[in-house]
Amino acid sequence: MRLVLVAAAGLVVCMHGLRAADAPTENQVQAVFLYNFSRFVEWPAQAFAQPNDPFVIGILGSDPFGARLDEAVRDEQINGHPLKVRRFRSFAEIENCQILFVDRSEIARLGQILAALDHRSTLTVSQADGAAQRGVMIQFATENNRIRLRINVESARASGLTISSKLLRPAEIVGTDARE
Amino acid sequence: MNKSSTPIRRTLMLMMFLSSGVVLLVTSSAFCAYEFLTFRQSSIQQLQILSRAIASNSTAALAFENAEDAASVLTAFKSDPHIVAAALYDTKGNVFAAYPPGLAAARLPSHAGTGYTFGRSALTGFEPVAEGYKQLGVLFVESDLDAMYSRIKLYALILVLVGGIALSLAYLISRRLQPRLLRPILALAETAKAVAERHDYTVRAAPTGAYEFDLFTDTFNQMLTQIQESERKLHAQLGRLSLLQHITRATGERHDLPSVFQVVLTSLEENLPIDFGCFLLYDPTSKSLTVSTVGSIGRGFADKLGLSQQAEVPIDANGLSRCVAGQLVHEPDAVQVHFPFPQRLAAAGLRSIVFAPLIVENQVFGVLVCTRRRPGAFSSGECEFLKQLSEHVALASHQARLHGALQQAYDDLRQSQHTVMQQERLRALGQMASGIAHDINNAISPVSLYTESLLEREPNLSERTRGYLTTIQRAIEDVARTVSRMKEFYRERDSQLTLERVQLNRAVQQVVELTRPRWSDLPQARGAMVDLQTDLTDPMPDIMGAEHEIRDALTNLIFNAVDAMPAGGTLSVRTRKATAADGGARACIEVIDTGVGMDEDTRRRCLEPFYTTKGERGSGLGLAMVYGMVQRHSAELEIESAAGRGTTVRLSFPAYGSSVVPAATAANAAVVKRQLRILLVDDDPVLIKSLQDTLEEDGHRITATYGGNEGIEAFAAAMRRNEAFDIVVTDLGMPHVDGRKVAASIKGVSPRTPVILLTGWGQRLISTNDAPAHVNKVLAKPPRLHELRAAFAELIT
Repeated sequence: MRLVLVAAAGLVVCMHGLRAADAPTENQVQAVFLYNFSRFVEWPAQAFAQPNDPFVIGILGSDPFGARLDEAVRDEQINGHPLKVRRFRSFAEIENCQILFVDRSEIARLGQILAALDHRSTLTVSQADGAAQRGVMIQFATENNRIRLRINVESARASGLTISSKLLRPAEIVGTDARE
Repeated sequence: MNKSSTPIRRTLMLMMFLSSGVVLLVTSSAFCAYEFLTFRQSSIQQLQILSRAIASNSTAALAFENAEDAASVLTAFKSDPHIVAAALYDTKGNVFAAYPPGLAAARLPSHAGTGYTFGRSALTGFEPVAEGYKQLGVLFVESDLDAMYSRIKLYALILVLVGGIALSLAYLISRRLQPRLLRPILALAETAKAVAERHDYTVRAAPTGAYEFDLFTDTFNQMLTQIQESERKLHAQLGRLSLLQHITRATGERHDLPSVFQVVLTSLEENLPIDFGCFLLYDPTSKSLTVSTVGSIGRGFADKLGLSQQAEVPIDANGLSRCVAGQLVHEPDAVQVHFPFPQRLAAAGLRSIVFAPLIVENQVFGVLVCTRRRPGAFSSGECEFLKQLSEHVALASHQARLHGALQQAYDDLRQSQHTVMQQERLRALGQMASGIAHDINNAISPVSLYTESLLEREPNLSERTRGYLTTIQRAIEDVARTVSRMKEFYRERDSQLTLERVQLNRAVQQVVELTRPRWSDLPQARGAMVDLQTDLTDPMPDIMGAEHEIRDALTNLIFNAVDAMPAGGTLSVRTRKATAADGGARACIEVIDTGVGMDEDTRRRCLEPFYTTKGERGSGLGLAMVYGMVQRHSAELEIESAAGRGTTVRLSFPAYGSSVVPAATAANAAVVKRQLRILLVDDDPVLIKSLQDTLEEDGHRITATYGGNEGIEAFAAAMRRNEAFDIVVTDLGMPHVDGRKVAASIKGVSPRTPVILLTGWGQRLISTNDAPAHVNKVLAKPPRLHELRAAFAELIT
């Protein structure tokens, strides 16, 4: 707990420092959001092979967050699983990860990606427009300079993930478009 | 009673109210405090629950920075109207969202705090907003306290209501229950009031049925009983006190012992009361008790007991002996006392006895006996009363005795005064008679002298003249005797006794003859016969004494003897010789009667002056005079007597010598033949002239001088001329220089010249031995020639 507090304090300091340098960019906010998802989503037990396996946040495609994400997750844990960030060049590299951020650059291959992830309990996130309707579980949408969430609950449920109702409250629920 | 004291009813009510009120107040306060505290606690809890729910719902909004959503989450506070403000702070401390919408930022705390606090008008709380262990922000909530205040108001209202109802109920209950508590107390109070106001100590408080009150009532009743008893005792004491006062007053008015005793006994019998009472007098010398006075009511008992007046009561080793020793003796039951006197009383039916000693000056002089029929009938109070009474009676008796003694002394004094006055009168009369006798004797002296001279020397007197002169001479002799008797009549007592030879036989014969009317005539007139026998020893020795006194004494003795024989008897008068224990000869006279005699007491007291057994007829001085005579004559007086056996009175005088019949005729025959030079000294010229005439006729040379001085001078002048007088005849009573001085003067010049003293002071019994100094012979006036001649013959040898 102390660790959490220290981490939180560190985060606050870090964020404060960032803000002091310049106003948080969209990516910075998204990085924090990405990390925050780990608290509002419940993964099934088989998501981890070992109890002390790391909680992996994977980034597919070009990394918009850079070191900021690394800083955000440093020394953090989720239910005993240490947080780790992994970056994948292509969907073929994708290993077991609990959250997978699909960058805009990789959205074209979304179908393949999702298929590859089909039986894995991986929360998919993307900032690409319409990604939620295409089966990405959570999509960052920018409205009035604010980042909004669009959540495809069906997708998440299909992957065995339970998204907290709290997360659903401020989010926009979308369904998978039939044309895909 | 203290007017400010409150009735117990009100006090009790007040107590009930106060205790109920206090209980209510404490209970309510505790309840309120508890409620208040729990209400605060629950308010905090409720606020916390709400805040936590809101905070929980706000996590996502904070985590994903959705202010709208946060604001909408906060609107959930609408459900509680008391939430007046709420806000979400992000991790940086900035206000993220506020409630109600549009709330001024200034209204909110500038930064987030922790925990819940009660302010004056609000409850504020900070609830962390966290997802998992990740804190996302802080929720601020502010609730007003209206709920609490309204709750407090409600409580106050309930309190007032409940209190009112409770107190009303308490009042009703106390009204119902009070009488059960108060009735016994009020009843007791009523009883006490009745006792205090009416002084009726017979009332009793009734039992109430409650244990403590009955205990109290019993104690109260016991107290009443004690008071009643005390009052009864007090009444009895007062009664006895008033009786004591009554008796004391009654005894104070009486001055004789029997009367004092009688009034005491009567008062006791009527008022104490007693059944039988008597006074016994104690004689310490014979150690005996005699009944003095018996109560009038108990006289029947006295007869039964044999306790009539003057009856003797033996003192045995019982109560009486203790009483005589000065103790009050109380025998509650005489039957239990095995001594004769209590047994006597018990036999007469008198069971309770009190013997109270009568003590004066630490000496018991009597005993008060009080008895009652019933055993144990005398209380200690009555015993004490009798003790005090006996002291009063003793005092009263003592006073009565003193009064009697005083009366006796007073009577004696009055008698003495009477006697003294009588004697004084007689003395004055005697002095007067003496003066008269002197004058008469002086006056008749010339008559006597001339008559005697004429009869003797005038042979040629006619028969008629001689007869007349003889008559004159006899008349003069009679006058002289009368004057002499007058002198005897007043019996002047000379301060010094002049003694002369007394022939007792002659004196006895004279007295017997003198008293004949008394022992012979008077008894015969009464029909009694007194046989007087004289038994005179002859010769008897003479004695030296005053014959008239001896005669008087004998007269008295004969009178007494006759008085002792009212029915007649034999009266013997005897003279006899006796020998005293020291060998001296004694001459005795005995007067013996066969009369009533004297008892021991009378015999002991018969010589006391004024003691008489003859009542009004006697002066009580007869034997006293006899005794006085006996004392003056160095004689002895013996009285032998016994009641009914007659009396013998014996006078025993020292004997002087054998009785010699005076040779009067022989002396008369002796006449001095030669001429004598005689100096006459007198203040009466008539007497001098008559003496001178008669003596000159005898052939003597007479020198007459008037008064003592002239006589002394004439005698001195004659001595100087060498013509001394052969004899001096001088009068005794003269102005300036009397006969005694004349005689002394002449004897101073010429001791051998005889001096004859003539005295006109009656025929006094003066023995020659006891003649005044310097006087050879005393002759009474009127002088007789033959006496003068005899004196000359005796003195001129």
